[in-house]
Amino acid sequence: MVDFGIPIGAGIAFGLGALGTGIAQSKIGAAGAGTIAEKPETFGLMIILVAIPETLVILGFVVASMIMIMLV
Amino acid sequence: MEYAYVNARIRAMKSRLLDRSLLEQLINKPDLDSLIAELEKTSYREELEKAGVLFSGITRIEVAIRKDLVKTFRTILNFIKGEDAETLLTIILHRWDIQNIKTILRGKKIQANPSEILECLIPAGELDEAALIELVKQPDVKTVIDLLATWGIVYARPLTLNFKEFTDTRDMLVLEYALDTFYYEDALSTVKTDESDDARILKRMIITEIDINNIKTVLRVIRDRIDREEATRYFIKGSTEFDTEKLLSLMKTGTIEGALKQLEQTPYQFLTKIPLEYIAAERISAFEKELEKYLLKKAISQFLGDPLSISIPIAYIWAKYTEVTNIRVIARCKVAEMSEKELREALISV
Repeated sequence: MVDFGIPIGAGIAFGLGALGTGIAQSKIGAAGAGTIAEKPETFGLMIILVAIPETLVILGFVVASMIMIMLV
Repeated sequence: MEYAYVNARIRAMKSRLLDRSLLEQLINKPDLDSLIAELEKTSYREELEKAGVLFSGITRIEVAIRKDLVKTFRTILNFIKGEDAETLLTIILHRWDIQNIKTILRGKKIQANPSEILECLIPAGELDEAALIELVKQPDVKTVIDLLATWGIVYARPLTLNFKEFTDTRDMLVLEYALDTFYYEDALSTVKTDESDDARILKRMIITEIDINNIKTVLRVIRDRIDREEATRYFIKGSTEFDTEKLLSLMKTGTIEGALKQLEQTPYQFLTKIPLEYIAAERISAFEKELEKYLLKKAISQFLGDPLSISIPIAYIWAKYTEVTNIRVIARCKVAEMSEKELREALISV
């Protein structure tokens, strides 16, 4: 019988990471848009700042992958 | 309200405010022309160029910085158009309406030249430049109030109610006090019905202003030995820390020194550090300047408050106002050929 706990755990690890990234990027993106509107020269820096929360979802993906490997 | 976008823009705008070193450069300029040349390197360039078509010298600077201030305030209001914060921020901008109406009424009472009155106005509130020009054109105090009433401006109400007393006494304080009371009562009633954090931040600022106004009144009453009963009329109500009872006990001390002693346990204890010769000579202007500085410092320190709240727009409005006032002071001092020491004393250093 298939153990559903493992894929559900992987889903939670990946999903919550993605949610966190979404919330963080929405705030940083809004603030970044405001800053770029006033100071276009900060565009490059803003791209980096908006990308930083991506680490959360990447970490979630890694954890989810490790959980799924346990299934194999 | 979503403050991330708005406050990031305002913080970016803050970075364009003149820093201390640039202000020093402006102070060290030998004359008005070099001052204008230096200002043309800053964010005032656009308005200076526009004003340069019609005006020259000090008028050019006055017109340019006034237009820049109004444009900046309108930009901030546009950022938050339709949001709850617009109502709150408008309360602050209404201060300039009150200030402008007071200036026009004072000017009309002493029959000052309309162009001179217009120079002193800052059309940053609800009354725009066209409305102010029309008000300044009126021949006397009565017609100014009538015109405000015709336009349905709320400030006409306290002025109309107190106009009879003004005609009997010819004391402008009657109308000025009526305007102040109306403004602060209206502002407090707006923020009291609002339970948000933004309203609480604004309420703190309004109460500080009320306290400062009341302390100034107490000091003036002590200096001029005005009847206490009569003086209590001029207290603005709404403060929790300095209620009428506390203000009366300050007045009962009968001397500036006594009043300052009572202020030692309050946030206004900095007044006790004013040199003794000012206290002995009862030079209220020194106290008023310190109180104004305190208000500006408190308002500008809101930049350190919650970055996702109304603190940032409030702090920016006051920081911009301080900058414009300082440029005006520098320009006026250059025209009057005042010494650097006198100029520095006249500046609002925050």
